[in-house]
Amino acid sequence: MIAAIAFYCFSAVAVGSAIMVISARNPVHSVLFLILTFFNAAGLFILIGAEFIAMILIVVYVGAVAVLFLFVVMMLDIGFAQMREGFLQYLPVGGLIGIILAVELILVGGSWSLSSKIQQIRSSPTPSLEKMTNTHAIGNVLYTEYIYLFQGAGLTLLVAMVGAIVLTLRTRRGVKKQKIAKQIARRPEDSVKLHNVQTGSGV
Amino acid sequence: MVIPNLTPAIAEIFLACSGMLLLVYGVFRGDSSVRSVSWLSVLSIVIAGVFLSFGDGRNLTFNGQFIADDYARFMKWLVVLGSSLAVVMSISYNKTEKIEKFEYPILILFSTLGMFMMVSANDLISLYIGLELQSLALYVVAAFRRDSLRSSEAGLKYFVLGALSSGMLLYGASMIYGFAGTTSFDGLAVTLRGGTGEPAVGLIVGLVFLITGLAFKVSAVPFHMWTPDVYEGAPTPVTAFFAVAPKIAAMALFVRLLIGPFGVLLSEWQQVIILISVASMVFGAVAALWQTNIKRLLAYSSIGHVGYALVGLAAGSEAGVRGVLIYMAIYLAMNVGTFCCVLAMRRSSGMVENIFDLAGLSRNQPVLAFAFAALMFSMAGIPPLAGFFGKFYIFIAAVDAGLVVLAILGVLSSVVSAFYYLRIIKIMFFDESAERFDRAITGEIRLILTVATCFVLFFFLRPGLIVENAESAARVLFVG
Amino acid sequence: MFDIGLAHYLTVAAILFTLGIFGIFLNRKNVIIILMSVELILLAVNINLVSFSVFLEDLTGQIFAMLVLTVAAAEAAIGLAIIVVYFRNRGTIAVEKINLMKG
Repeated sequence: MIAAIAFYCFSAVAVGSAIMVISARNPVHSVLFLILTFFNAAGLFILIGAEFIAMILIVVYVGAVAVLFLFVVMMLDIGFAQMREGFLQYLPVGGLIGIILAVELILVGGSWSLSSKIQQIRSSPTPSLEKMTNTHAIGNVLYTEYIYLFQGAGLTLLVAMVGAIVLTLRTRRGVKKQKIAKQIARRPEDSVKLHNVQTGSGV
Repeated sequence: MVIPNLTPAIAEIFLACSGMLLLVYGVFRGDSSVRSVSWLSVLSIVIAGVFLSFGDGRNLTFNGQFIADDYARFMKWLVVLGSSLAVVMSISYNKTEKIEKFEYPILILFSTLGMFMMVSANDLISLYIGLELQSLALYVVAAFRRDSLRSSEAGLKYFVLGALSSGMLLYGASMIYGFAGTTSFDGLAVTLRGGTGEPAVGLIVGLVFLITGLAFKVSAVPFHMWTPDVYEGAPTPVTAFFAVAPKIAAMALFVRLLIGPFGVLLSEWQQVIILISVASMVFGAVAALWQTNIKRLLAYSSIGHVGYALVGLAAGSEAGVRGVLIYMAIYLAMNVGTFCCVLAMRRSSGMVENIFDLAGLSRNQPVLAFAFAALMFSMAGIPPLAGFFGKFYIFIAAVDAGLVVLAILGVLSSVVSAFYYLRIIKIMFFDESAERFDRAITGEIRLILTVATCFVLFFFLRPGLIVENAESAARVLFVG
Repeated sequence: MFDIGLAHYLTVAAILFTLGIFGIFLNRKNVIIILMSVELILLAVNINLVSFSVFLEDLTGQIFAMLVLTVAAAEAAIGLAIIVVYFRNRGTIAVEKINLMKG
């Protein structure tokens, strides 16, 4: 009963804020609603028993991705007064198509039944909760059975990093930078000289 | 703790390691190292190709997520050729256009690695990871000339549509996972083959989403919208790269996925493939008629070529797959050669891209004009050039599979498309001379152009070399 | 109604997916919203994967979801970088103004 109420709360808020994401006037609000959607989706994951993914969702999505979005939205500084014109113009047709698509997908989802050969093809069955926690179970397979994919994802992140730097890094000229090695390498005998100044003749 | 068998994936491991080492080298040496990093990347891609030739037979590793068989090796060799030539073609171009950066060859190298992973994918998850590794690098190189509005617009369009297609593909993958209970291709084959009666509707819906996502990647109509803009906006060597290697990899994935695990559902997906194949052939032929920008024209031409290759897939037979493989090999040679010609279209004021700038090329640079004409004749599919054989094998396979109407439509649209290829030849040979091009094409581009043209001209003398390899590659998909 | 099953989760995922697609096609003003819509689509995929994984009692789906999360973060980084570059050149990111080349 409690689980059902929690499910309806989380999913209603998730769907409602997803609607706001695509229809808010102000892109900053969109990002904030996106964060709300992610939080509620994380709630759904916890409800279904996938705690680890829920935590990752919050750490990675809310902590990194959404903040990145927020940062870019603010950096670009777009005038958003007229941001939403034209949205209503396409709403009726688009909405109709959207509703049809959603209903179809829901009907497909409703037709699900457990595959008859599931025992034989399941590649990594979930161990029971008494034996180990969700996180432990994922850790057990992630670095062993799925090491190839793990490394592949790592390379993808590397490419993303290189790509973002290539596209946006600009080396500015004329910036005065501290060269620590040079500072440390400086010795007194290179820079300080003792002069024996004659009295009364000036330097 | 069991260490997976690494030998089948040795080429991938080598590429990943050399990519990271080159990255470190480039960072420490700065932009002065562009030339050496470029040649070293070419070398590592070629060495990876050499590593491929040591493998034989069908090997699974990494828990069945990775497969190395004759099919994968054939496609990877094509990818090796496409990627390494794209890097070679970019070296002097990037220098004259002042967009030299050592990251460029490294990004191409990593996207090559992604293509290898796609070609060798034996699991929906490794399919996705390979696809994304490849695409992320491609998004960046499309926008590589970051001070140019066109290039960044190309990158943006490619990114938005690419991200959408990845999303569709993933939704499809999640449906298939849920309804079949597995992501592994072998597991899927077991589930689908043993199924009695109608397959679950969720699987069909998932498959449709998956096909949509992949059709975006090979730029088949109606998911082709990005192609002309990206081809036009991206720097020319990047366009040359886009036209060959990613298409080959995506086509390899498409064929393996549909013939392998979903082979039993042939009757379900055949209609869809026939539809997009006809649409691509016809659209590619008709829309190109009005193009005057050579890069846009080649974009529509590549949409058409993808349509022809899909005819072979729609046949769903061993001969059809063999046709696809031969077609992709010939397509590679024709496109690399053509883009070498496009790179030669340079005047003192900069690059020119209008086809009317080619006017009178036969008098100014007869050798270049001859090579260009040979490639265009081949693209139009005029015997005895290579392009004709590519289409020949495909259409024969389609007729054998009972798809006579599809083959006839293919022939008709290749007749229509011959018109714009011949128009280019007419402009080169019979129009009033325009201003001459600089004769500054470098030695390596001249070499690539010569080899590609010779391949296209003399393919008919020794077709066996490619046909036999393609045959043994196609056979492995139908075993078991 | 009060017995929450797989179909309930799939329904939420389907609605979020549709909203994401809807957001991409209806948006005429701001490319960043398109990126957010893509994130919504990926979230829907993740809900699908995780709920299938739980009901199939198979961890593959959760691993898949985790990798999707990782790659989506990489994709968002690249996308935002491209948007920044485009904005620097063009001074706007309105969707209907991205029309230098007619396609």
